[in-house]
Amino acid sequence: MRGERWRLIAGVALAAWLILPFLPLAIWSVAHGWRFPDLLPQELSSKAWAYALSARAGVLDSFALTAGIALATTCLAALIGVPAGRALALYQFRGKGLVTLLLLAPAMLPSLAVVFGLHGVFLRLGLTGTVSGVILAHLVPVLPYMTLVMAAVFSGFDTDFEAQARSLGATSLQTFRTVTFPAILPGLLTGALFAFLVSWSQYLLTLAIGGGRVQTLPLLLFSQSSAGRNDLTAAIALLYILPGLLILIVTARQVTGRGAALARGLGG
Amino acid sequence: MLRPLAALLLLTAAAQADTADGEALKAMTWDQIVEEAQGGTVNWFMWGGADTINSYVSGYLADRLKAEYDITLNRVPITDAADIVNLILSEKEAGVTDTGTVDLIWINGENFRSMKQGELAFCGYTGLLPNDALVNWDNPAIANDFGVPVDGCEVPWNTVQFAFAHDSATLAEPPADMGALIDWIKANRGKFTYPAPPDFTGSAFLRHVFIYAAGGPESLLGPFDQAKFDETAAKTWAILNEIEPFLWREGQTYPTTITQLNELFANGEVAMTFNYDPAQFGIAVDAGTYADTTRSFGLSDGTIGNTNYTLIPFNSPNKAAAMVVEDLLLSGEAQLEKAKPQVWGASPAIEVSRTTPDVQAGFAGIVGHPSVVPAAELAKAALPELQADWLTAIEKGWLENVGN
Repeated sequence: MRGERWRLIAGVALAAWLILPFLPLAIWSVAHGWRFPDLLPQELSSKAWAYALSARAGVLDSFALTAGIALATTCLAALIGVPAGRALALYQFRGKGLVTLLLLAPAMLPSLAVVFGLHGVFLRLGLTGTVSGVILAHLVPVLPYMTLVMAAVFSGFDTDFEAQARSLGATSLQTFRTVTFPAILPGLLTGALFAFLVSWSQYLLTLAIGGGRVQTLPLLLFSQSSAGRNDLTAAIALLYILPGLLILIVTARQVTGRGAALARGLGG
Repeated sequence: MLRPLAALLLLTAAAQADTADGEALKAMTWDQIVEEAQGGTVNWFMWGGADTINSYVSGYLADRLKAEYDITLNRVPITDAADIVNLILSEKEAGVTDTGTVDLIWINGENFRSMKQGELAFCGYTGLLPNDALVNWDNPAIANDFGVPVDGCEVPWNTVQFAFAHDSATLAEPPADMGALIDWIKANRGKFTYPAPPDFTGSAFLRHVFIYAAGGPESLLGPFDQAKFDETAAKTWAILNEIEPFLWREGQTYPTTITQLNELFANGEVAMTFNYDPAQFGIAVDAGTYADTTRSFGLSDGTIGNTNYTLIPFNSPNKAAAMVVEDLLLSGEAQLEKAKPQVWGASPAIEVSRTTPDVQAGFAGIVGHPSVVPAAELAKAALPELQADWLTAIEKGWLENVGN
């Protein structure tokens, strides 16, 4: 009984801790004139939202572009990260330590150092200023997360289940679809969530490789906030956190619920 | 396998009007250039901080370009033009000579000097624009960008003159000249500060103090003079160090950007802010950022004025379309539109007397924003901008002698 009450208090405190910082953002986005020492704005106005959602502001275009880039990056990362994670977790091979280190390197090195070298290479390849160039560049910080999550998933995966399915006559595709994929799905979703959000929040890489021509939401947000328009910045910032929230809500059950139990059962 | 791919590449290349060859364009008539420009896309890199300016560019200008010339205008918001100069420089170093990222850039001052010195600008074409006739190139403030001759490498867009803003509800009588401002700062502890250079606006404020210390701009015009600089700089640092303890937070720290100073002003922490483009005060009041009682003023010993420009980089692949954009920017109608306070409130870079009677009547009918000091009033006491070498020396000297 007492434990339950503490849990409730802790839950409310945690929720408040997470939500409170967004409260000023929400107020700013509808404020017209909110100056010290006023506790609340002088007037409420929808002009920030009207501008942010209008076609000429380019915010919606930028939103769609950012989502497209993050989705493409996530899919590519999954295509590479699933086999790579499996190899790292299940197989022994020469130079495994080195490969792990190389995969982890982008997550450990300061991105500023990476960006300059990368920009030179991409320039010579003619990839700067293009969306595909930006997607490729985003793979650099995204891949370590995907690969490591998948390696963790596969380290708890018993390959005997695949062998059983194969011995019962399943093709390798059928085995993957009906045995391996359901087992790794919760982990894959977690990895994809990380991948999407890491790509979604890239600023420096996008600016350098995109050359300003690939206007993702973080770039737009920064240019707005550095101009001192708190109302517009708040409206764009609220749009910016939307996908993260949505993904969290949609995948929360998958990641923690039934799917995870299945993986545990299979992993035995 | 390769052949369809090559055909596809050829097809897209043909569909995209490639007008990277500036020399070929210079040999054409204007009508031919307009024809070449059709279907082109112009990537215009410009400071993206004001929603009013953004709306004018992405709305009024983009709509007209699409409807009248079939040109797509892609506004690329940036925070600092210096980054874009570096981008074009690195493109040049990598051998990108005809497929550059940038087709047009809003620029002036040190950044223009860097572009010109690095041979990164497309030059010698401005006379081809029909609306070039509206520009008074005999005016040295137009023909020189911070003392650097323009030489047909850029096209003027706006003229601005530095002004200060105060809230008339809390400060009824602002200081009238630089001497009075310095006295006011010492009498009102913690109510004034300025952004540390290299902030563009903070650096401009420093030049006002520098010109005041020199006793006027006359001896500072022309190329950099080390002896003159040393003499004036010593006086300037003395003034700035003298007022430092009376500044916001006792001068222990300075705002790093004009945005921070504006925020301090909006919240009443300091009593004044300033800007190179007084129209920004009106925009901030309309946005609710500043109080309605905000007013602006110049100094009786003068404030610095400058012209800002648009420039086409040497490696722009859409030079024809970029030229058409520049011509539209110069037109009386487009200059009138952006002069309206509710649109932007920017002063024209053209001679209004050379425009059509309709446009002239439009300019005459503009009622200024109450928070924006009229350009004509500021112009009564105008100071010329110093050459870029002075500018960098002052910024460097400040860091060593005042901001340490």
